Amino acid sequence: MRSMLQASGVALLVGLCSTSIAFAAAGVATGDTSKKRIALTDGFSSNSWEQSAWNAWKAVASRAVKDGVIGEQKIITGNDDPAQQITQMQNLILEGYDAIVVDAASPTALNGTIKEACDAGIVVVIYDSLATEPCAIKVNVDYKDYGVQETHYMAQALGEKGNFLEIRGVAGSEVDIDISAGINETLKQYPNMHKVGTVYGNWDGTIAQRQVATVLPTLPQIDGVLTQGGDGYGSLQAFKAAGRKIPTIIMGNRQDELAVWKEMRDKDGYKTFSISSAPGMSTIAFWTAQQILAGKKVPNTFYVPLLAIRENTLDSWLAATPVGTAASPQYTLKDTVELIDDNLAGVKPKDLPQPKLPQ
Amino acid sequence: MPLAIRRLVAQPSFYATAGAVLVWLVIVAHSHGVGGGAVISGALNYSVFFALVGVGQMLVMASGAGNIDLSIPANITLAAYLSSGQMQGANAGMAAGFAIGLLSGVIIGLANALLILALRIPPMVATLASGLVIESFCFAYSRVSVAKPAPLLVSFTTQRLAGIPLVVIAAIVASAAVIAVLKRSLFGRHIFACGQNMTAAWLAGVNVRRTRVFAYVACSTFAALAGILFAGFTGGPSLNMGSEFLLSSIAVVVIGGTNVAGGQASVVGTWSASIFLFLLLTMLNVFQVDPGLKNVITGALIIAVLALGKANRPQAQ
Repeated sequence: MRSMLQASGVALLVGLCSTSIAFAAAGVATGDTSKKRIALTDGFSSNSWEQSAWNAWKAVASRAVKDGVIGEQKIITGNDDPAQQITQMQNLILEGYDAIVVDAASPTALNGTIKEACDAGIVVVIYDSLATEPCAIKVNVDYKDYGVQETHYMAQALGEKGNFLEIRGVAGSEVDIDISAGINETLKQYPNMHKVGTVYGNWDGTIAQRQVATVLPTLPQIDGVLTQGGDGYGSLQAFKAAGRKIPTIIMGNRQDELAVWKEMRDKDGYKTFSISSAPGMSTIAFWTAQQILAGKKVPNTFYVPLLAIRENTLDSWLAATPVGTAASPQYTLKDTVELIDDNLAGVKPKDLPQPKLPQ
Repeated sequence: MPLAIRRLVAQPSFYATAGAVLVWLVIVAHSHGVGGGAVISGALNYSVFFALVGVGQMLVMASGAGNIDLSIPANITLAAYLSSGQMQGANAGMAAGFAIGLLSGVIIGLANALLILALRIPPMVATLASGLVIESFCFAYSRVSVAKPAPLLVSFTTQRLAGIPLVVIAAIVASAAVIAVLKRSLFGRHIFACGQNMTAAWLAGVNVRRTRVFAYVACSTFAALAGILFAGFTGGPSLNMGSEFLLSSIAVVVIGGTNVAGGQASVVGTWSASIFLFLLLTMLNVFQVDPGLKNVITGALIIAVLALGKANRPQAQ
């Protein structure tokens, strides 16, 4: 009898232990990070996407410091200059930060410094513009899906036929290649949709306007414009300046793009779709760093869903997006952990369609 | 060759103009005549901003070797933000918007002149530094203010009269005024004198300091004007709207036939070069040239224009 009790006692204990071990792999890690210091180094200079990313980080990270979840946070911003970012990162390593979150100004130039940080025991998490160094955790976006989603929308909006223009990003970047690949693959399903021109807008409205203007005079009627974000407003201006009928332009998440969409919708029922990568993923990177410091196991690369804004959600997103910034949710610890766990389990992440709008 | 043709070819602006015409013909040939007029209208509409900035940079470069203004991009952005911030999307604020934008240009020009003439900082470094400071102002301003250009300004930059955009007509008038000043006025003589030999000019009684100050103020005022208009054209200011103007302002001046060493300038050439560069971009886009190849071809054609035009440029000492 006693041995049976003992045996069942041991079994119960073993059972409890294994469930608690399993619990640490999934779910929120609760290690103590209250003295830990996390820094963000962003290699890019200010455009509205980056500004939104910094604002999101500041809101979430400083609240975490205030709540005692971490000890200290810092943001350092750059100037599209890899050399400068390398120096900034090396300073952070010397200052003894426990985790460094990076938006890399170059996919390869920072690898040496990132490896140095990893070797020094620092947790490195990269988001948005990724570097290729294997030791860092990468918060990724499925850019191919970006191209796929916008092309499907365009097909449905244009009745699967028509001429359209493709505006690409910075030539040679992985993001540009992936989005364009997604577009081209999806187009094969719609043989009556014709791409009549391609220009490189560098994800920038002013450049996009200029580039689109060069090709417009010699092109036939354009029914749609497939974009990569940051270029919607500029391409609209180009069509207006040329006196052409405004086509269906896929918008990104910049406030000016959303505002002009609303304006045109209210005036003549203009219909379009917005898809983008959320600048708020800086907060996902933040929580990921904190969780790793707290003991959670995180996959080396994991994916964040894209932010899609449709007709019925345009107004609420616009209301939550200040002028000069980009639409973005701020992600909480719970959201981030759910995302990581879905990725760990190999499950397609729950479409986080409308995470809490920033208050 | 008859004298008239020889004189035409000897103009500093000839090769830039010839280049622009040639590229236009290539585009029109490729599209079988479709949109030829629209290509010119579009080219004028977009080049006008680069031409205005180029004319300003041209005045600075003509006033002597080593003179250059690298604060132009930041200047453009600040003027755009200040003027649009004043207009706040209403026609009533337009005059005040122009005033404040142009005033900021004048102040920047005076500040640059102070750094260069009083503190003896080399122009390249001085204007680079002032550009960085101005950029920070832009950054700060952009966060606190709603900046939208007046609707009247927006339509001014896009409406056309007989196919030519209104803003282009106004800019041509301004440029004609600059040509008149350079050719007919004392100031024009003084600028070229400074550019050709500053010591000789000073010995001859030219107020070299004042001339150079005027050159820098004129340059930054033109840049500010371009910034105000460009904000109207693009629907509003943005923090990196000036970035393309830095190198293009120098490129259009040099390709247009102005001597980098100073002492001679060509307004017509600056305009032709602006149009040439835009048409070049058009041609490469219309032909769907691979992006890597685009830069190679652009560089090669610019070198060709400069090499051919070498004979036309007097070698200043």
